[in-house]
Amino acid sequence: MIKLNNINKTYFGAQPLHVLKGINLDVAEGELVSIMGASGSGKSTLLNILGILDNYDEGDYYLAGKLVKNLSENQAAEFRNKLIGFIFQSFNLIPFKTALENVALPLFYQGVNRKKRNMMAMEYLERFGLKDWAEHYPNELSGGQKQRVSIARALVTSPKIILADEPTGALDSKTSAEVMQILREVNATGITMVIVTHERGIANLTRKIVHLKDGIIESIEENDPDKMDFTKEIK
Amino acid sequence: MFNRDFWSEIFMALKRNKLRTALTGFAISWGIFMLIILLSAGNGLKNGVTSNFADRIQNTYQIWASFTELPYKGHKANRYIMLNNKDIQLLETLYEVEEVSPVLSQGGTLIFGEKSKMVSIEGMKPIYKNIEGIKMVDGRFINENDMKNKMKVVIIDKNTSDELRRINNEPTMIGKTVFINGLSFTVVGVCKGMPWGDRGQCYAPYSTMQAIYNVNEYYQLTFTTKGLNTKEENEAFQKELKKKLAALHEFSPDDPRAVWIDSQMVNALETNKIFNTINIFIWVIGIAMLISGVVGVSNIMRITVKERTNEIGIRKALGAKPRSILLSIVMESLVITTIFGYIGMFLGMGVMEIVNMVMESSGAGTNNEMGMSVFVNPTVDVRIVVSATLVLIISGVAAGFSPAWKSVKVKPIEAMNYR
Repeated sequence: MIKLNNINKTYFGAQPLHVLKGINLDVAEGELVSIMGASGSGKSTLLNILGILDNYDEGDYYLAGKLVKNLSENQAAEFRNKLIGFIFQSFNLIPFKTALENVALPLFYQGVNRKKRNMMAMEYLERFGLKDWAEHYPNELSGGQKQRVSIARALVTSPKIILADEPTGALDSKTSAEVMQILREVNATGITMVIVTHERGIANLTRKIVHLKDGIIESIEENDPDKMDFTKEIK
Repeated sequence: MFNRDFWSEIFMALKRNKLRTALTGFAISWGIFMLIILLSAGNGLKNGVTSNFADRIQNTYQIWASFTELPYKGHKANRYIMLNNKDIQLLETLYEVEEVSPVLSQGGTLIFGEKSKMVSIEGMKPIYKNIEGIKMVDGRFINENDMKNKMKVVIIDKNTSDELRRINNEPTMIGKTVFINGLSFTVVGVCKGMPWGDRGQCYAPYSTMQAIYNVNEYYQLTFTTKGLNTKEENEAFQKELKKKLAALHEFSPDDPRAVWIDSQMVNALETNKIFNTINIFIWVIGIAMLISGVVGVSNIMRITVKERTNEIGIRKALGAKPRSILLSIVMESLVITTIFGYIGMFLGMGVMEIVNMVMESSGAGTNNEMGMSVFVNPTVDVRIVVSATLVLIISGVAAGFSPAWKSVKVKPIEAMNYR
């Protein structure tokens, strides 16, 4: 599903910062992978490149068999819309839209008509127990509810891959466990998932843990989450 | 693309910032309001002034007797040059001259019943009506038959007519016999007064006046011309004419005075030029005002885009294409400018329509006593509304484009991380 060949990325500022120094990574379809590393290790940059939210300087990135390189803004938008679902630490919900409208937004950009996209969005909200909150605005929702709305939004277009940047970073441990449980269930339906985290407890719930340090992959650790009791406190 | 969702997004964005939208819109409204007011006022002035010429044939000339300024061939300066029959003959030989109408001017006393009034009576040919742009209020002007038969008919001005009617309690003066310097004339027409003094103004056939007074010298000759269509042609003709008159009356052809030659057409061309300049001036001021409004909108759009950077980043991450972002911001700006622009436009047009109505009912702007108008129908026509609409659309797009382009160019991750 994902194939990275020698990805390099440098931020050119007052002091050029070589963030990624040759990343090689394969993620197969249906895998649940976490990327771990200290802050500044380049894990967020890597995720942004995977999500085509940022470009890279060197190397090749294949997503679902297609080379993602020097895309026009239009092509990039299409890739993001059709193939990728995003989950962010700060949720990134649009504050003046209701939960339902937020979830329906990616479908709007696909040109789905209002009636159909509201129906689909409602389906996903229902799946995550938010049916009664559909008409609420993000500031009327709890952190866990917001993250569930954003998961619904990520899934509504049936993407091939979910990219989650610290999905539990702004949540307490109980809610974190709930959200991780949802993500694991989503993964179980066959959707590839890459989670960036700096918490060992979260990484332990994934099958493959990529350790990133100073812009290179230090090690890739195979993990069996089923040994873990994820209902237990994970922090 | 431009479906219900698209528009609801835009109106939602405008509604979320009501005060800001209103303040920005005000600048645009004010700009277009002032533009319309200025253009209408300019139009009114133009209509007012040109309506004074409107009934005149444009290819007419007038020659006025005057003093010489230069000594010439033994003649001293300050000699008065009277025009005479030789001048008429000279004019009639010229190819460009169509018809000459000498103006025979006499002072006198008009008596009707109990009332006597000082008048000046002018003898002229029927064509003079069009040359001078005399406006009839009642009856008719002198005709060829009057000329041929030296009829003792007279046209009097409205003020004189009103006075005579009031004092003698007559419903109309048409058909009445009046005495001018002791001679009886039949009134056949009433015209608008000409703008000099409170003396009455009477017109009689040239042939009649000539028979009575046997005048051979004139203060004023008028004639119509043909084939003189440009300013250059007219100026060349004037120069040539002056040379010929100079030879006839023995004054220097370079004398700046001696005789005045006045072309209605050159005057009209000059007047048009002045009004075109005023018009350009008004547009420049109006557009400058509008530009300040547009800069305001552009600034507000810039702030809006900045505030919405996060949202735009999120939208991009969810698959919004650059075109949709660009369009939504440009359209937002366009909606502000056109809505508020039209509010300003209709307010401006409304105000000027009211001004027009008040002026028409009160007769302000036109000076009835003198028959001159300075301000008529101060409104704008459809063409101006269409061009103002175009200006609004262009300025709306211009105001929105730069901020919109900026937001398109920013990378989604940078937009999302923007605080």
